[in-house]
Amino acid sequence: MIWNKVRECESVEKRKERQLADLKDLCSRVYGRVPFYKKKFDEAGIKPSDIKTLDDIAKIPFTTKDEMRDTYPYGLLAVDETDIVEIHTSSGTTGTPVVDAYTQADMEMWGEVMARCFGMSGGDKGDVVQNAYGYGMFTGGLGVHYGAHKMGANIIPAASGNTKRQLMLMRDFKSTILTCTPSYALCMYEEAKEMGIDFKDLHLKSGIFGAEPWSDNMRQEIQEKLHLKAHDIYGLTEIIGPGVSNECENQNGLHVNEDYFYPEIIDPATGKVLPEGEKGELVFTTLSKQGTPVLRYRTRDITWLWHDKCSCGRTLVKMHRLLGRNDDMLIIRGVNVFPSQIENVLMRVEETQPHYQIIVDRGLTHLDEVELQVEVEETFFSDETKELERIKNKLHHELKQELGVSINIKLVEPKSIERSIGKAKRVIDKRTL
Amino acid sequence: MSSCYTDDEIQRLDRDALRALQLIRFKKIVTQALKTEFYKNKLGSVGIKSAADITNIDDIVKIPFTTKEDLRNTYPYGLLAADKADVVRMHASSGTTGKPTVIYQTQSDLDNWTNLTVRSLKATGCTRDDVFQNMMTYGLFTGGIGLHYGAEKLGMFVIPASSGNTKRQFMLMQDFETTVVHATPSYMLHLYSEIETNGFKKKDFTLKKAMIGAEPHSEEIRQKIENYFGIDAYNSYGLSEMNGPSVAFECVHKNGMHLWEDSYILEIVDKNTFLPVEDGTQGELVLTNLIRESTPIIRYRTRDLTKVIPGNCQCGRTARRIDRIFGRTDDMLIINGVNVFPSQIEEVIMKMPEIGNNYRIVVRKKGTLDELIVETEVGPDIITDDTRDLYALKDRIKDELRASITITPHVEFHEPGQLPVQIGKAIRVVDERGELK
Repeated sequence: MIWNKVRECESVEKRKERQLADLKDLCSRVYGRVPFYKKKFDEAGIKPSDIKTLDDIAKIPFTTKDEMRDTYPYGLLAVDETDIVEIHTSSGTTGTPVVDAYTQADMEMWGEVMARCFGMSGGDKGDVVQNAYGYGMFTGGLGVHYGAHKMGANIIPAASGNTKRQLMLMRDFKSTILTCTPSYALCMYEEAKEMGIDFKDLHLKSGIFGAEPWSDNMRQEIQEKLHLKAHDIYGLTEIIGPGVSNECENQNGLHVNEDYFYPEIIDPATGKVLPEGEKGELVFTTLSKQGTPVLRYRTRDITWLWHDKCSCGRTLVKMHRLLGRNDDMLIIRGVNVFPSQIENVLMRVEETQPHYQIIVDRGLTHLDEVELQVEVEETFFSDETKELERIKNKLHHELKQELGVSINIKLVEPKSIERSIGKAKRVIDKRTL
Repeated sequence: MSSCYTDDEIQRLDRDALRALQLIRFKKIVTQALKTEFYKNKLGSVGIKSAADITNIDDIVKIPFTTKEDLRNTYPYGLLAADKADVVRMHASSGTTGKPTVIYQTQSDLDNWTNLTVRSLKATGCTRDDVFQNMMTYGLFTGGIGLHYGAEKLGMFVIPASSGNTKRQFMLMQDFETTVVHATPSYMLHLYSEIETNGFKKKDFTLKKAMIGAEPHSEEIRQKIENYFGIDAYNSYGLSEMNGPSVAFECVHKNGMHLWEDSYILEIVDKNTFLPVEDGTQGELVLTNLIRESTPIIRYRTRDLTKVIPGNCQCGRTARRIDRIFGRTDDMLIINGVNVFPSQIEEVIMKMPEIGNNYRIVVRKKGTLDELIVETEVGPDIITDDTRDLYALKDRIKDELRASITITPHVEFHEPGQLPVQIGKAIRVVDERGELK
C-alpha cells in the first residue's frame, strides 16, 4: 500500500518546487523567531532572502548535537510554548538531553510519515501491529504508535520487555506486523524456542526494525527465524523520531520522506556537499516542522543517497542502510572500522552468533587495544580447544579480509553476552581519557 | 458519541433528561452486545432478544451480571462486537498466563474515551496552558496512554515521561516547568521523599496539581500529598474493563468523584444480596458501558466497594459522585497501581515441580512504595546443591511471574516445613501495609 501516492510518487521537479518553497519559509521562520538561528545566519553573513535555490542551502551553517544540547530546554523553540502539545527527549545518558517539541501540526506530520513507513513495509488498515518499542520519552514507541493509528491498524501497545508476554500476545492476537529493535527480534526468537513456539505457526508477515544499525546478513537471519519480511526504518529524535526513512518491499535502500526531511551528504572533514552517490555524513533539514525546526543537522551517520526507478512507484530519494556512525567508528591501528562491518562477518561465519561486544581498552603499552567478544553458535560450541582454535582462526582470517587489520578475538559461550530489549550496546569503551 | 447536546450541556442535564439519554444509549449498546454469542445467551436468558425489549432503564436490574471470569472465559474474541477490521487498539490487564482481560477499541470508542478524559481534566481546572507530565506506565496498561490522549486533545503540553526514573522525572519537572502530574498516590509520596536525595529543592518546581489514581487511598494520603508539594490533588477512578481512566473524576470541589453517567450506568448493589442499595449506602459498584461499540459490557461487577454521595455538587454537574474506594469484595491486591490476584501467583508456582505446595505472599511497604515477596518451600536437594541452581530457579520463577502479573517480585526460598501450613487461600496473603493512611 502506498499511503500518500500524490506525495510519495510525484515528479522530482514538482517535489523540488515544494522543497524550495518550504525551505524559504523555514529560513524566515527561524530567523525571526529563534535567536540561535538568527545568530548563525548573521555570523555566516546571510539573510533568509539569500536562499533562492535548493543548492543555496549549502550557505547555511550546520547544526550539531552539542548545539542542540547547549540550547536545552527551549533554545530551539520556534513557536509559543502553549502551542506545544508533546515533547520527547533523547535518553541523555551522556549529559544533557536533546529536546524535540511538537505542535499539533507536527504530530499530524509525524503520524503521516510513519503511516508511509508502514505502507512501505506492506502494512494496511487490517493489520495487527505489535509495537514492542519502548513507550515514553523515547520517540520509538509513541512515534510508531501514531503511524499505526493513522493507518487504521489494530495496535497492541506492548512496549518493550516481558518477552514471554510478547510472544503470548503475538500468538493469541495473530499479530501481523512486529515493530522493535532488530536485536530484540532475535531475542524473541530465542525465548520462543524455549517456550516451544515456532514462528512458522504465528501470523507475522512483516517487521519494522530500527533504532540501531544492523546488517543485511542480520536481516537474512531475522527473516529466516521469524518468518517475516524485515524492513529497516531510520529516524532520530533530533529530526522527528522514527519515520524519516524506511525500506519498501524491494529492501534496496530506504526511501527518505524528503518532502519533510531534506537530506544532504557531506564530506565529514570539509563540510562540503558531496554529489549524489558518494559516501559521506548524512545531514537533515526539517522543512516544515514547527515546534523545533532543525537546519542542516549533522547526524554523524555514514551512508549515501541515490535516485532510481524503484519498482514500488515511489520517487522518494533512497539512502543506503547505515554503514556506521562517524562517532562509533573505531580506529584500530590507523584503520577506520565500523561495528557494522564486524557484524557482517559474524553473520557470514556459520560458527558464530551475531551476539558480540567490542571492548576497547588501553593496555600496558598505552595503545588502544580492541577485543572482539563473540558467541559461538550452540551446535559448534565444544570443550575441545582444537575446535575452538579452528573457529577463532577462521574468524580472524575473515575479519582481516573485511577490515584490513587484525583484531583480537575471544570466543565466549552461547548466551553469555547480555541481551538487550532496546538498543544493543555493542562497543564497550573502557578507556579513561 | 454523537448526541444533540454539547459536552457542557451533557454535564448539566437534569436527571430526567440524563435518564432519557441513558435509555437511548443503552438500547444501542444492547443491540451491539447482541452481536456476541455471550450476550445473546445472557440477555436471552431474561427475555431480551432485541433493543425493543428494553423500555425502562430501571429494567437493567433484571440482567445477570458480567464478571471478570466471563471476560477471561471469552478470551480472546468472545466479547468483540465490532468488525475486527474496525478495531484500532487493544489493551489488556495482567491476567493469568494465556488469559488476560482484553478490551478492544474502535476509532469512535477511542474518541469517546478521549472526550471523557478531556472533560475530567477540565473539571479539575486544567487548561491548554498547562504542562502535563504523565508518570503512569505507557503500554498495555490503560493509565498512561488514556490520559495522554485526553491531555493532548485538550491542548496541554504533554511530557510522556512514563513511570520510574525518579531523577529524570525531577529534571523534566524543573526544566519544562511542569504544572500538572499524573501518578499513583504512592509514587507521589515516593517522589517527595526523593527530592533532596536527588539534589533538588521543592522550590525548583512549579507544580500546581496532581491527578492521582490506579490505587485506593485515604483522605489523609491526599492531604499529605497536597501539603508536601503545596498543590491540589484530585482523585480519579477507572478500570480497563470500562476503558481505563476517566470513568469517575473529582471536580475542583474535591468532594467525591463524578461518575460520568451519560457514558456509564452506575449501580451500587449490596455485597451479599446483590440488590440495589440507596444512595449513601455502601456496596459493590456495578457499571455498564454506554459508549463502546467494540466491547460492550453490561452490569460489570467491579468488585470495588464504595457509595454514592447523596446530594448535588456545588459545581452544577449532575453526574452523581462516588466516594473513594473503601476496599474490594475479592482478594485482589493492588501493588504500586498494578492489579494482582493471588491465584495468578499460585498458578505459576504450582507449575514448578521443584517447589512444594506451601507458599506465602507478603506485601509490605519499602519506603513509600509497595514490595511483593513470594515465599516458597523447595526440596532439600536443591537447598544443599550448587547455589547456582537455586539462583537459576529463582530467576525462572521471577520470569514466569513477571510474564503473568507484569511486576517482578522478590522470591524467598525456605526449607520444607518452615512456612506455616495454611488452609484456604486468603491466609496465604499477608498484607503488612496496614490501613491506608
